[in-house]
Amino acid sequence: MAITETDHGSEGHGSEGHGSEGHGNGPAVPGAENPGGEHETAFKRDQKERLMLWLLIGGDALFLILELFTWFYLRTLNVNGLWNGAKCSKANPCTDGLGNPITAPIHKADPKHAIIIAICTVLAAAFVWLAESAAKRDAGKRSVSTMAGVAYLFMLVAIGWQIYQFQVLPFTTIDGGYASTYEFFMGSTLAHLILLAFIGLGLWIRASKGRYSGATWYRVRLIRFFAVWIALSTVILVSVAALFY
Amino acid sequence: MTTAVAPPLLEDTQLGPKAGGFYRHQNIWTGLGFGIFLGFIGWLVSHALLQGSNWGTDMVVTCTMVGWVLGFNIGMGTFNAPIRWMLGHDQTHEDELYAAGVGQGSSRYLKFCTDHKVVGTQYLILVLVLFGVGGTLAMMIRTQLITPHSSFLDPQTYNSVVTIHGMVMIIATIIMVSGPFANFIMPIMIGAKDMAFPRLNAMSFWVVVSAVPCLLSTFFLGGVNAGWTTYAPLSVQAPAAMDAFAITIIVFVVSVTIAGVNTIVTVVTMRAKGMTMGRLPIFTWGAVIGGALGLYAMPAFLAVMTMMITDRVTGTSFFVPEVGGSQWLYENIFWIMGHPEVYVILLPPVAAVLEIAGTFARKPVFGYKVAVAGFVAIASLSIMVWAHHMFTTGWAPNLAAPFMLTTELISIPTGIIFLCTIGTLWKGSIWTRLPMWFIYLFIWNFIIGGVTGIYLSDVPADQFFHGDMFVTAHFHYTLLGGAMIGATAAVCYWFPKISGRMLNERIGKVAFWMIAIGIQVTYFGQFWEGFQGMARRIAYYNPHYQAANDMSTAGAYLLMSGWLVFLYMLIHGWRRGKIAPANPWHAKTLEWKVPTPVPLENFLVDPVVTSDPYTYGEGVPDGQEVPEFAPAAEPELVPAGSGPPEPGDVGGAS
Repeated sequence: MAITETDHGSEGHGSEGHGSEGHGNGPAVPGAENPGGEHETAFKRDQKERLMLWLLIGGDALFLILELFTWFYLRTLNVNGLWNGAKCSKANPCTDGLGNPITAPIHKADPKHAIIIAICTVLAAAFVWLAESAAKRDAGKRSVSTMAGVAYLFMLVAIGWQIYQFQVLPFTTIDGGYASTYEFFMGSTLAHLILLAFIGLGLWIRASKGRYSGATWYRVRLIRFFAVWIALSTVILVSVAALFY
Repeated sequence: MTTAVAPPLLEDTQLGPKAGGFYRHQNIWTGLGFGIFLGFIGWLVSHALLQGSNWGTDMVVTCTMVGWVLGFNIGMGTFNAPIRWMLGHDQTHEDELYAAGVGQGSSRYLKFCTDHKVVGTQYLILVLVLFGVGGTLAMMIRTQLITPHSSFLDPQTYNSVVTIHGMVMIIATIIMVSGPFANFIMPIMIGAKDMAFPRLNAMSFWVVVSAVPCLLSTFFLGGVNAGWTTYAPLSVQAPAAMDAFAITIIVFVVSVTIAGVNTIVTVVTMRAKGMTMGRLPIFTWGAVIGGALGLYAMPAFLAVMTMMITDRVTGTSFFVPEVGGSQWLYENIFWIMGHPEVYVILLPPVAAVLEIAGTFARKPVFGYKVAVAGFVAIASLSIMVWAHHMFTTGWAPNLAAPFMLTTELISIPTGIIFLCTIGTLWKGSIWTRLPMWFIYLFIWNFIIGGVTGIYLSDVPADQFFHGDMFVTAHFHYTLLGGAMIGATAAVCYWFPKISGRMLNERIGKVAFWMIAIGIQVTYFGQFWEGFQGMARRIAYYNPHYQAANDMSTAGAYLLMSGWLVFLYMLIHGWRRGKIAPANPWHAKTLEWKVPTPVPLENFLVDPVVTSDPYTYGEGVPDGQEVPEFAPAAEPELVPAGSGPPEPGDVGGAS
């Protein structure tokens, strides 16, 4: 392999996603602590980070598919008629033969809570999108941070409501396949929302410090991709849980 | 002619007293301290709140392990950068240099270091440690089987040893090439200054380190006696050690996912000018496709282990038929992960074998594009074969034939890659150095592993062999004899670049013959056991099987001794080996064009690639031998078109 010539620079240490937008060849960012610290173009960083995000979303999508697979597999198999709880009778006293109680008939979860959570995630994604638009048109840090703050608020509401839903479910984890999978959906949604809220808080704080402008709007776009994905996956889970009891 | 003037080395930068921030105070000791502290807090809180509830013990173990993992990584500095990002405090350039290990000497190997070469070396040491643990457990298994009714281990402990041996080896083999070589070597191979995401790179390493104590703690928590596949409902009923096992896997999945993404992004976006996809060294293809396959497989591992741990900790009923679950659900999801995972292990070492074969045969990789297509075909087919592990479970008998077909189909691209390896060596001017010995051994072992795999893909044959020692012998031939020997060749090949020293090949050949013979004796013994019908994972056996077991055990002792000699060779080489020239094998890929030790950002000047990676012998008239190469010299980097061509180099702009 022949190699020749050269110029200095391109990617090197510190060329990662977290922090320090737009140094070096990229557009300058007011308030950045390390101007000139890196030598990677904004385009290259954006390209890398977008690809990383799409790959991670791809992996997460596979996880979502496996969640849905679990739902439909257990629902279709309905092992021992216990998908959504057994009908207890003298012949079936709802014990496992060792005297331990097993599931009794259960009620379907009220879809209202899940729908509220889904709406919150959609609104959070929408406000991240608005923050991105504000940054893109250089609308000022107040505008960007307001949108980011509202998005973060919706993320917190979604998390709070998800925790609340755990308290008001008409069943517990031990009540058969439906109950187990439903709570698995909820747990998965909660974990994703916590991650999104971490990023959302970062977006809000950084926007408040004026880190996002017409030169760096594409960094908000990355967060928007993730927020939209979370909203989409939540809507899918909510729909399946509501429609395929 | 003007030679490009190299800038001052980054590693010579004088950093200020505050460079690095928190990183200055964090290392493996703070990691251990925080890990133990948060693990204790997890234990204390969960013990106080949950002990006595239905799933108290399981919850306590889970909380303790989660506390340990979080604490260790907080102490190491894994989360520093994300938290600083969130707070809007970006790292300065000096912070980045400090994190890359500037001015820290060898202590950087015990810290969260973002230099890909440090991470690669850390991975190499971790892999050796894991193989040491897994190998010791393997010897305990074989020692137990010396006699039909040995009292060396009780059955419960024996089952735990078998399980943890399996999982330690699976973890070690998944990272044995993608860890050290995809980190240390691959970025240089493609002309990059580092991985695409240096912090994620370091994170992937320290996260997997935090998983290892969880796995080893299982011995003190009652043991995991369900086999490495931890089939439900056995795993759901297992002692609390199963919770630590599941946490191990979940943490490991995070690490492998991050590493896979990083590898792919690095290759797609960080290649040097002129390094087109068609010019990528074949090893890079193996690493990328292996990483992509890992991204497919790991979510399934995460899903199945999460469901299993919730079955145990919160009483969900995914896998327990008595309460509406299904063990087939476990088996399906597990093998949706499990079979691609075999190729996550195999593809990078096989690609390394092709890479090394080209160098030592002084020939281009035979059928380069076909081999790449073969990797893609294997990866694609591997996601459609999972149910061949379930032929005897009673699940969907009508699907047995299609799954048999897809499994047998996978032997076609595998065979093609095999032919590419043979074709690369065919009529080459083979330079038989230590890496080449292991290539020969790889070829032999991989044939046996591959052919016996075809038998097992056949439904009637599988009905007979399933669950017996034939299967054990088959996958050890494939994973140890194939993948691990390929990785061993890679260690011998790239050791001079990593350590800056040469290995003692005389010691290496002693190790080679012990390993080569040891493998044949050990696993032919196990084929024999399998043909006789001996089941695997049993502590006691019928005396009828003793001769075959004695053969296998004797082979195992020889094999382990061979690995110890090999380890001695590595340590000896690292400490007292001859200083390695920059390019001891006269290879053509970029990692051999940089000085040894490799500078912080690899290239003093950015390379521009102007030819294919394997231009050995080009320009040599027919019938003449490839000329001997002069002793290796530092490559000269000169402006395009003005320098003398290297032997065999083809000029021309990309």
